[in-house]
Amino acid sequence: MEPFVFFGGKGGVGKTTVSCAYALRCARDGHRTLVVSTDPAHSVTDVFDQEFDDSPRPVAGVEGLDAMQIDPDDEVTRHLNEIRQDLSEQVSAAMVNEINRQLEMAHGTPGAYESALFDRFVDVMRSADPYDRVVFDTSPTGSTLRLLGLPELLEGWIDRLMHKRRTSIDLFEKAAVGANEPRRVMEGDPVLARLQERKEFFEFAGSALDDDAAFFLVLNPDELSLNETRRAIADLAEKDLAVRGLVANKLTPSPDADENGRGARYLRERVATERERLETIRSEFDPPLVAEIGWRSSEVKGDLLEDVADELDIETAVEPPTHV
Amino acid sequence: MALADRIERYRETLEEWVRGLYHGMISHPAYEKIEKEAEDTEDAFILACFPDAFGIPSPVSYYTSELLPYLETEFESWERRLWDRDSYIERKGQQYHF
Repeated sequence: MEPFVFFGGKGGVGKTTVSCAYALRCARDGHRTLVVSTDPAHSVTDVFDQEFDDSPRPVAGVEGLDAMQIDPDDEVTRHLNEIRQDLSEQVSAAMVNEINRQLEMAHGTPGAYESALFDRFVDVMRSADPYDRVVFDTSPTGSTLRLLGLPELLEGWIDRLMHKRRTSIDLFEKAAVGANEPRRVMEGDPVLARLQERKEFFEFAGSALDDDAAFFLVLNPDELSLNETRRAIADLAEKDLAVRGLVANKLTPSPDADENGRGARYLRERVATERERLETIRSEFDPPLVAEIGWRSSEVKGDLLEDVADELDIETAVEPPTHV
Repeated sequence: MALADRIERYRETLEEWVRGLYHGMISHPAYEKIEKEAEDTEDAFILACFPDAFGIPSPVSYYTSELLPYLETEFESWERRLWDRDSYIERKGQQYHF
């Protein structure tokens, strides 16, 4: 299977647990694995009982497994500071304030979070060399889908910007009278160079997502989760990204046959409705149901995570990436 | 002064006048026109890069902000041009000297 594996789904369905379990399984099967989380709640830290930051760190007690957590807030700030640094080197002091205002505005737009996350994801994919497999535990459905749809949109956008820039430089060159130096020259234009760099970045992202990534959706056996998953499958299909499989998490355990208390009756009823919903998933949803994971009475970590890993029916064999 | 010299001077003055007239009437307005067009395209470029300056959110302004350090002069003259541009017709009309 592809080297990059994404787990998505509605908030609170247990994406982090499933991603960590899958990563654990890959590591156990002898693949160098990295699990990347974008969850600001730092659930990976809870699962492995260990602090992680935005560079990969080995998970204690598991051979060949590293983990990292990306905080979109930090990423936006880092990006902002990088540009500020460039700014102070290039721009005269009088203009810095003017441009700074524009800069802060750009980093306050609603898309900034997504862009920052996207950048970091692609960076991780680009430098995934030491790993056989990278598992992405993505943020809840909506923003993730937008994230994965970005490259094509952005490539087109950058293309148009480059075209505009070229046209204007060309005109400036033509407007230079006689031997006068034109106001702008095409050769070595830093703006065009920057745009070109960005364009290549998006091209890489687009092809890596198309060819080297597999997508799984995690869902719970309830109506809301089912509906959202249905929409997510359609949205991803629209972007030509096929969902490889569905993971049903938090299934209610059925009571023993001889139990007949109020709790047992309640559980029996729940199990019946959940079974219906699983049936719906099997018959109506296109991607296959690759795992059914029951409720755990305590937090999933340690040995419990091993159990969950065993229940996942997702292959771990890795094909080398084609675009890195 | 020899006749030849006087003819020579006459020709030089005439040439200067003709070149001046040609430059003033034809070539300069033409270059000006091209330059204005170049400025207009540049304005469109910067507007496409930073539409949020006008309250239009853009999915790329996060990325285009990386260009800001290299767009100092462009950014400044863009703002200046936007200030003294009354209307698009007025801007285009400036090309014609009546």
